[in-house]
Amino acid sequence: MTDVVASRIGLPKLSSLARFTFVDVILWALRLAVVIVVVGGTIGTLLKGRYAAAQWFDLVMFGLTIGSVYALIALGYTMVYGVLRLINFAHGDITMTGAFAGYFLASSFDRSGLLDRSPILAMAGILALAIVTSTTIAVLTERIAYRPFRHVRGFAPLICAIGVSFFLEQTFRGLFGPSIRSYPDPKWQRAAIDVLGFSVPRVDIIVIALAVVAMLVLYVIIQRTKMGTAMRAVSEDTDAAAMMGVDVNKVVVFTFALGGAMAGIAGVFYAFVFKQVYFFMGFTPGIKAFGAAVLGGIGSVPGAMIGGFFLGLVESVGPALFLDGIGIPAPYQLRDLIAFTLLIMVLIFRPHGILGERMAKKRA
Amino acid sequence: MFRYRSLRPWTYGALAVAALAAAPIADAKETKGPVTDDIGVIVIPKGAPIQIGGYWVLSGADTALGTDQKRAVEIAIKDIGGKLVGHPIKFNAEDSLCNAEGGQTAATKLAANPNTVIVIGPSCSSEATPGAPILWKAGITSIGTSPTAPALTAPDRKPEYNGFVRTAYSDIDQGANDAKYVYEVLKAKKIVTVHDGSPYAQQLATVMAANFKKLGGTVLSAEAVAPTDVDMHPLLTRVATEKPDVLYFPIFVAAAGQIIRQAADIPGLKGVRLLGSSALMAPDLIEAARDAVVGFRFTYPDVSPEAQGKGYPKFVEEYKKMFGEGPIAGYHANAYDGAQLAFKAIEKVAKTDKSGNTYIGKKALRDAVFATKFDGISGPIACDKYGECAQFKPAVYEYTNADPKTFKIGVNPKKIWP
Repeated sequence: MTDVVASRIGLPKLSSLARFTFVDVILWALRLAVVIVVVGGTIGTLLKGRYAAAQWFDLVMFGLTIGSVYALIALGYTMVYGVLRLINFAHGDITMTGAFAGYFLASSFDRSGLLDRSPILAMAGILALAIVTSTTIAVLTERIAYRPFRHVRGFAPLICAIGVSFFLEQTFRGLFGPSIRSYPDPKWQRAAIDVLGFSVPRVDIIVIALAVVAMLVLYVIIQRTKMGTAMRAVSEDTDAAAMMGVDVNKVVVFTFALGGAMAGIAGVFYAFVFKQVYFFMGFTPGIKAFGAAVLGGIGSVPGAMIGGFFLGLVESVGPALFLDGIGIPAPYQLRDLIAFTLLIMVLIFRPHGILGERMAKKRA
Repeated sequence: MFRYRSLRPWTYGALAVAALAAAPIADAKETKGPVTDDIGVIVIPKGAPIQIGGYWVLSGADTALGTDQKRAVEIAIKDIGGKLVGHPIKFNAEDSLCNAEGGQTAATKLAANPNTVIVIGPSCSSEATPGAPILWKAGITSIGTSPTAPALTAPDRKPEYNGFVRTAYSDIDQGANDAKYVYEVLKAKKIVTVHDGSPYAQQLATVMAANFKKLGGTVLSAEAVAPTDVDMHPLLTRVATEKPDVLYFPIFVAAAGQIIRQAADIPGLKGVRLLGSSALMAPDLIEAARDAVVGFRFTYPDVSPEAQGKGYPKFVEEYKKMFGEGPIAGYHANAYDGAQLAFKAIEKVAKTDKSGNTYIGKKALRDAVFATKFDGISGPIACDKYGECAQFKPAVYEYTNADPKTFKIGVNPKKIWP
């Protein structure tokens, strides 16, 4: 019984304590060090009182905003991995294609004044075009580049995915030039909204709210529709699903389409918050979203959502909360270090990610 | 008797280090045709092109910085009739991305071409830091056209930089000037600096901070971002808690654009003066920051026509004729002078035999570059023994319009100081 409890919380079984190795000691020392930094830093920062409540609230909102974008991108990684066991490294670039498509429409809406006159209609149009573009490219990518590798073992599919990533980046560079372009900045997006007595830029609220809606819709599609059920079946066991009459090809295309749609939405949101669009823009958020997908438990849809928000929050709040208190100067240059150290820590405690284990159990 | 087994691992290591340190001087003495040179001779057969290399940032947010310099070199080639010492010029320009990986790749590619005579560029210190040693190891002299990090031409620079000179100034001067401007003109007493980890930004921010402290100011913190960071809100929220008078960020276009835009979202930064530096003279910055760019100031060398050399107005006319627009960044004159320096040095040392083949000694070319003096379109060019060939003339510019099409040096941004 004790062993069961121990294994559940990530501790080694008592019976195996005798076999503690040097590496185990180092790992536990690492865990302890991180816990001390996190707890000690947090207490130190809060005692210092450097940040006012409004600033903490801002940091949380910034984290949720970027986190919602990570979550949307992470969904594409996790769904494709779930169905095909393929890490689609080109997914960040598919986000970029959506952002680019949205850019052209957004600029023309801005020039014609539609973006200011009817924001909802304009946003719907921009999102629709981005979704269509990203979905089309995601589906074409699957059909042309990934399907021939479907049953190939080893690294070939992964290398192919990296190739697709380069292909998309360089194609967009060739078509639209190497420079950055800027999304329009309509006043209604910048206007602040009062939330719980704190003021938040409207664009942050819109992005977080719409991202949550998109994720809920996706969750319902996966849990409640026939195609979603087929997707889950294929991700459990492709051969068994095929034998039960599931058209695996159709399911895979559907998965890429869903992932592409989420990437299109993420691309537009990302560009509306951070404005700059260029051919290489998908790379960094893509890598981070992949981290978020792994953190949440790759293959798990709710895991990707949680992972995305977690990563965004840690990036935004972490440096100020953990490092300011222990007197580390310029903590924000360690932003990625903190985020990915915590990612590693979570994976040390839960090797399958935050929600990964539950899925593994279900499969068993 | 010598037995190889008696050599210990450290001996191999020491030998390898010695061999690397000695390069490119190590036993590469060569005689070809009429030329003998300590590190090698390049032979250009009759009728074959003379190959000039170049590497600059030609893609991404800082495209304008590098493209502007590449264009200036193209004008210089055109101005000498496309021919040098009797051979047509072949100009091989590489994109070095304004980062270390790009600089390393571009330099390796240029160094791998045995016919590369000399290299002009790069634009960024992060490219020159790995790139210049790679080129010099192959015996190729390189002329930086806008990398300004002090270490590149410092008296204690390492021997692998011996083949590097620059026709741009050192940030030792830029940093001292920036500190003076902030302390004496803006009357700021407390500042926060932000760099992006690149040699240029890191060294300039450090030099500026040291000078600012010397003048009596306080540096509240030295922050850092990554050049690819997009979410600056958390950093700026932290900066706001320190209540500085000036936020000084000598970084590149993409990240600077984000800081300029997002600073407006942080209530605690109202009234804090933002100040950038010499990587931000580009239409892309207007595109990146849009409305927030109006009123944004940055320190820069004085590039107004009156501060430049004699041939500058003619050069600008030529630029417009060839590319259909005025200069798109600020270091074209330095690049033009870099090309002139290369051509003059090649003319000095190249020897042609009776059959029309040309021979250029690599070490002789390096020495000729260091010894060549002339009045360039950016001002007098004369290299000291550490490869610093240009002088610094300080200025501050301010953007006046949020439309990238209105970019015109001297108008948007306009010079506001001195």
